[in-house]
Amino acid sequence: MTTAIDTGLGFYQQVMALRGYRQEVLSSDIANASTPGFKAVDLDFAQALKQATGGSPAADGPARVWLVDDPRQMQSAGGSGDAAGVAAAAVKYQVGTEVTLDGNSVDLDQEKTEAAANAVDYEAAATFASQSIKMLTIAINGSASQSSGGS
Amino acid sequence: MSLLGVLNIAGSGMTAQSERLSAVASNIANADTSVTSTGQPYRAREVVFQAVSLGSGDGDDGASAGSEGVKVAGVVESNAPLRSVYDPSSSFADANGYVQMPNVNAVDEMVNMLSAQQDYQADLEAFNVAKTLALRTLSI
Repeated sequence: MTTAIDTGLGFYQQVMALRGYRQEVLSSDIANASTPGFKAVDLDFAQALKQATGGSPAADGPARVWLVDDPRQMQSAGGSGDAAGVAAAAVKYQVGTEVTLDGNSVDLDQEKTEAAANAVDYEAAATFASQSIKMLTIAINGSASQSSGGS
Repeated sequence: MSLLGVLNIAGSGMTAQSERLSAVASNIANADTSVTSTGQPYRAREVVFQAVSLGSGDGDDGASAGSEGVKVAGVVESNAPLRSVYDPSSSFADANGYVQMPNVNAVDEMVNMLSAQQDYQADLEAFNVAKTLALRTLSI
């Protein structure tokens, strides 16, 4: 069921889940900074968000739940069996980074910078979601006096 | 859940790096051990890292698809030639008066230690950021 409230907050939900997923991918790079043969990966956030919000015709309708760990959840996420694959498909190998002699392509400084920037973006989405909820509360209560305790 | 996956991945990284650090400590401590329990001189040890998928698939305790943690696949002994030290007075000297000493390279060990320290700090940073974000999410 999609309501107006759901539509407004659903976007932030997807942004935050994707930012969280990207944080995981980046921390995977950081953890494997010394693993021989490991190739750095990154989430193509723009592509993943476009797919998640239904901007791409690839998915049959907006893929509402596209990031699940449990196969049983995938079944209930609208029928298509590989919902997790929607976001995972946007994980790509990083190109242009220096590859060391042991075949590792992780640039630790770059990963740390990306992770910090991604964390800020996550917090931004969380703040926007928080503000949206406050606005809805104001709309429901008819005034902004609820939190300030009346005028 | 993704942010909890970060905690798992960063945690696996910290575990692996501390094992590497303990191998370095073992090597430095035994840099002059000419006889071990096997009767042979000590050989430098190195840990081998391997990327591993942490997703267990039966809950939200693992990591999502596409991201991997790290584990220590094994510990290998260095094949570098042993040092020969001329010390005829030693009871371990061979017929020519040479004693076989460990193949520990102090410079290698220091570089390894610094690298392990840096990687550990990066993991810790990733862990803390994920913790902050998860707490921030709770306060929406």
